[in-house]
Amino acid sequence: MTYIEVDRVSKSFDERVVINQLSLHIERSERLVLFGPSGCGKTTVLRLLAGLEVPDKGEIRIEGQIVASSGKNLVPPEKRNVGMVFQDLALWPHMTVQQNLMFGLNARGVKKREAHVRVREMLHRVGLEHRMDAKPHQLSGGEQQRVALARALVSRPSILLMDEPLSSLDDERKGAIASDLLGLQSQFGFTLVYVTHNQTETDLLASRVCRMRDVQPAA
Amino acid sequence: MGRPVRAETIVLGLCVALVAIAGLAPIAVMGFESVWHDGHFSLDHYRELISSARFWPLFGNSIQLALATTTVCGLIGVPAGILFAKSDLSLRSGFMWLLTVPLVLPPYFVALGWARVVARIGTIASDWLFGFGGCVLVLSSVFLPITMLLTFASILNVDRRLEEAARLVSGWPGVLRRVTLPLSAPGIVFSLVLVFLLAMGELSVPSFLRYPTLPVLSFTQFAASYNFGAATAAAVPLAAIAFVGVLVESAFLRDRDYTFRSTGQTLFISLRHWKSPLAALMAALCFALVILPLSALFADAFSPAAMHEAMQRAGASVVRSVMYSAVAATILMALGFLLGHFMRGGRQRVLSAFTLALFAIPGTVLSIGLVRLWNTPGTWFIYATPALLILGYTAQYCAVTTRLSLAGLMLIPTSLDEAGRLSGAMWARRLFRISIPLSTRTLVFAWLAAYIFCLRDVPIALMAAPPGGDPLPARILTLMANGAPPMIASLCLIMAIASLIPLVVLARVIPSRGITG
Repeated sequence: MTYIEVDRVSKSFDERVVINQLSLHIERSERLVLFGPSGCGKTTVLRLLAGLEVPDKGEIRIEGQIVASSGKNLVPPEKRNVGMVFQDLALWPHMTVQQNLMFGLNARGVKKREAHVRVREMLHRVGLEHRMDAKPHQLSGGEQQRVALARALVSRPSILLMDEPLSSLDDERKGAIASDLLGLQSQFGFTLVYVTHNQTETDLLASRVCRMRDVQPAA
Repeated sequence: MGRPVRAETIVLGLCVALVAIAGLAPIAVMGFESVWHDGHFSLDHYRELISSARFWPLFGNSIQLALATTTVCGLIGVPAGILFAKSDLSLRSGFMWLLTVPLVLPPYFVALGWARVVARIGTIASDWLFGFGGCVLVLSSVFLPITMLLTFASILNVDRRLEEAARLVSGWPGVLRRVTLPLSAPGIVFSLVLVFLLAMGELSVPSFLRYPTLPVLSFTQFAASYNFGAATAAAVPLAAIAFVGVLVESAFLRDRDYTFRSTGQTLFISLRHWKSPLAALMAALCFALVILPLSALFADAFSPAAMHEAMQRAGASVVRSVMYSAVAATILMALGFLLGHFMRGGRQRVLSAFTLALFAIPGTVLSIGLVRLWNTPGTWFIYATPALLILGYTAQYCAVTTRLSLAGLMLIPTSLDEAGRLSGAMWARRLFRISIPLSTRTLVFAWLAAYIFCLRDVPIALMAAPPGGDPLPARILTLMANGAPPMIASLCLIMAIASLIPLVVLARVIPSRGITG
């Protein structure tokens, strides 16, 4: 069975059609890169998969379950077991690194002791154990990227959505984080949907590439 | 050769000088005179004040009134702000504007309205109104919009991506509790501190409802007994509390000054079956706090005879009120915009705290200081003219236009100014060609807000207006002693119209933002 199915989904904002009749199949543990120019609707696809937007038309299914259908979100974002790394990272500025990671585990009812262990393990995995008490503004750009990645993965999501998170880094750092990401994916086995307009990132990460073009308004 | 003084520095100096002349100098003179007696240093006024049997009960009354008002505003205003910002409550925009109405009117209007209501009910209600309970009810109605609107604005300013990141792992109660509210806390705490300080310094409502407080004592010593020393000594604790309040607020805000790269609005509280009960509750609140007292106040206002008498006895005050407020609003808009420009990027924190302290200081305190400073033969050209009133308004309300301008300027990317600088434009050119054209809405908003605050002001209008040149709120208070109720009602209606017209304009200026989610 196809793991994620996007079935003839359309989405408009203020009468501007961003996605028009998009269909997409993603297999379990696949690393799909959505590649295309700015404004072609890549980010909207991620937000639809996360449940942060509702499709105007069409259906989205995860493991065969309909999670969203024509104007309705049937499964709310927090129930989809999805992690996301935002383009601007969206690290909560009032929380420390540890608290940023703990938030999701607390919300999901993971016991305190186990949550601490998982946070430590994840921070160790991304090389930031020593920075757990720092606030986001005290971290370098690369460290912030890794915290955002760790926060998205600590809840052990089955799908990881990434919205151009490496766009502000140089090629050397991109390579290092992409290598980390591949290691994490082979360890945790999540399905990766990655949005970019950068060929280097695509080459580094993709097991399959979906090229998107600008959508013309529906007649 | 020394470094040339830049235009930016000169303009900043002029702005600071204006704030210092309008606000710092009067407070300094007042503080000095309270400890200077018969040509030498003396604490006699304070000794007399503290040892008098009246001081401590009045001080206690002021604190109790401020605490109770802040509690009520917090308990109602914060949840209301959250509901209006984040829920699908029916008619939320209408409820919000309706609840805002008492803030744009002189505070004693609501008290006057309630007096009309209880006059029809009987003695028991009257006993309750004319006392602590009535004061809390009226001041809560008047200051509720401050907590409600600041909560609303703070919550809308939270970057929606931060909420969305939390939404992936938690339902809305968790997102609200752990992300939205902590990030909005500075704005909410600021609103509560502001309500406390404004309630503490309020003069007209406790005076009308005969509840003795420190500002009432200070005003009585000033206006009735002409005892400047005692009036000043009674006013100094109020000024000190205002400064302490601003310091506490600043201390709380330290390390909590979050700056967001993008803002947006996300609707995430679906009320479902609570939608109708909460809408009914909000409608009841609007009726009890706004519609009932104001309709009772304006019930007799529409008779042609009353309207004619009102215009005969106070027509000139109406014109003066609008004129003084418009002039002060124009000065405040320019001053606030320039100060906001200088404060951008967290600079000039002391100046920011000082303007806020001037806003929080009771108008009675500021007015006593202004009168003491300018009531000399050499400065008669200020003391005996509307200039004193304009100075008072400028000192008291420059924090309003400064903060509004700052909020507007923060939305303009700094890169736009930087690009202008790189292309060789000097500060003044960048100000007039980049910042001001991009801030026209902010400027209109700031002017209207300043106009409304000046128009509704009572203590400065009462104490700093030139002889025979009192603005309408002061004139109404004077006429209330012997004027017929329908004539007073007509004057209140005229005042309300003058205040509400800009509010309607304001509603048109603020674009309706669609809520998605």
